[in-house]
Amino acid sequence: MSAVSPIEARKAEALESFRVRGMPHRRFEHWRYSDLRAVLDAGQVAAAGTAHWQIGEVPDGVEVFDLAKPAPPDWVVKNLGNIGNRPTMEEASLAFAQGGAALRVAKDRKIPQILPLTVSSTGNLRLLIVLEEGACLTLAETHAVDAGLLRNVGVEIALGRGAELTHVRIAPNAPKSFTVEHIAVGEARDARYRAHFANFGSRLSRTELHLVLREEGAEAHISGVNVLGGESHADVTTHIEHAAGKTHSTQQFKHVAGGKSRSAYQGKITVREGANGSDSRQTAKAVLTSTRAEADLKPELIIFADDVKCAHGAAVGDLDAESLFYLRSRGIPEREARRLLVRAFLEEAVAEIGNDELRAAVWRDIEAVLPRALEQAR
Amino acid sequence: MLEIKNLHAAVDGKEILQGLTLTVEAGKMHAIMGPNGSGKSTLSYVLAGREGYEVTAGSISYDGHDLLQLKTEERAAKGIFLAMQYPVEIPGVSTLTFLKTALNAQRRARGDSELDAMSVLKLVRKKAEALQVSEEMLKRPLNVGFSGGEKKRLEILQLSLFEPKLAILDETDSGLDIDALKLVADGVNATRSPQRGMLVITHYQRLLTYIVPDRVHVLAGGRIVAEGGKELALELEAKGYAQVAKEPA
Repeated sequence: MSAVSPIEARKAEALESFRVRGMPHRRFEHWRYSDLRAVLDAGQVAAAGTAHWQIGEVPDGVEVFDLAKPAPPDWVVKNLGNIGNRPTMEEASLAFAQGGAALRVAKDRKIPQILPLTVSSTGNLRLLIVLEEGACLTLAETHAVDAGLLRNVGVEIALGRGAELTHVRIAPNAPKSFTVEHIAVGEARDARYRAHFANFGSRLSRTELHLVLREEGAEAHISGVNVLGGESHADVTTHIEHAAGKTHSTQQFKHVAGGKSRSAYQGKITVREGANGSDSRQTAKAVLTSTRAEADLKPELIIFADDVKCAHGAAVGDLDAESLFYLRSRGIPEREARRLLVRAFLEEAVAEIGNDELRAAVWRDIEAVLPRALEQAR
Repeated sequence: MLEIKNLHAAVDGKEILQGLTLTVEAGKMHAIMGPNGSGKSTLSYVLAGREGYEVTAGSISYDGHDLLQLKTEERAAKGIFLAMQYPVEIPGVSTLTFLKTALNAQRRARGDSELDAMSVLKLVRKKAEALQVSEEMLKRPLNVGFSGGEKKRLEILQLSLFEPKLAILDETDSGLDIDALKLVADGVNATRSPQRGMLVITHYQRLLTYIVPDRVHVLAGGRIVAEGGKELALELEAKGYAQVAKEPA
């Protein structure tokens, strides 16, 4: 009698859990602004198949395992489906994806070049990224646009002691698709996760991050932009847990919504009992460039510890009329002035991307979407 | 160059300008003096084309154009420049980028070729020196963290850079100490030219010691109530607005 492997057991559990919980909808906690059940049923998720992934040249020091292959190495068995809180759509990606990519950077290896990872086609997909102690990696996750109905990606990231991952995720405008991605991150002592989520919207786009700062000295610096036009939607939901003292997190999100688009940010920070000396900051701002656009920002702080620093701010507004007048009075046409002000508004969040090449790539995509994001819908 | 006739203008439904008539000539420095609430800033915003400032009657002719038919940016491209009392701070846009964008937008609108970044930098540097606008200031986001004096100097730098036909200076002296005032006044005086009409709007006579006007117009209750030469400014200082406003224009 052959024993069921731990991964198979987790997949079976995930399948059962997804069957019981079903599709997320507005009455689910944290799915208020993205009613997935209204547009998609569980059968469609199960039948969506498996999305494709592609990794550029694999640098020395990085190990890649194709999850479609048999006999996964121990580090995959240990981690796959085992990080994070497994919300329902993540259960679905675990249960239904017949493949995906697992990456590991060995102890103390610092990879100087950017590792590009592209997700394409339709279906469920799993990604696992393991950085061992002292390892360092910059991952550029991009998404190819196609006419597929659903892309549901479950990403798990395990950062060992002192490991550093920079994760830039660019999701281009995919007006025909529903795109869901859940990113679960677990960080050991002194580890650092820097992420930037650039969302250009889809029929329904959901990016959810659940990050646990498990040990002292762990840090997370998350930034992102939603730049939306037409009838696009993008929802970014984060939950950062300070589970240990002296942990540090910052979040900086800027959203621009034009046309009839809808942009949402929900940011929950939990400071666990005993996580003294932790420091968390969160800022989310949205600019509406059209009267028909909508932005929802919802910060949430849950604090069980004393001696913590928590700062948060959220604001939705129009482009500043006085600034617009000033620029126009200097001869800058209204359209160009609005573009300049929106760029200026986004600057703070994009500047969080430390890598010049990736920052330039995000700016290029922003420029491409801006004309639509500045459109006034009738 | 600028002819304002019987101008009535309202803000939020309240009529501020009530039949203002004023002519500004090329090559002349005109000063408008008036107490708080007389309509000085309203006049400058109406001339620049700010939204929310509704002209209910009267006309403004500028250099052969019906000014009220032109958009804000078109007015700028046709040579109207308003140095503002409170220049706005715009984080995320560097001062130099702003100057380049504005200069090229005006050039484009006039059918001139755009200048490349290097040419703009050279031009700006040349003008900036006299106004003590440092390289470091040019790199900073527009007006962010600038002192009152720095903001006003940057306004005058733009005046010098854009070379407008009609320059309107709204309370350019407000918030300046005497050294900063002299520096700004020197900058303004350096831009005086036979082709350029200038309109200085001020509450106090002080500025007019340094920027000597050819004509002084007294604005009270939304109308020009007295006009004269530069000596009128001194008379106002001595007698006060209330007294002068009562005397027939």
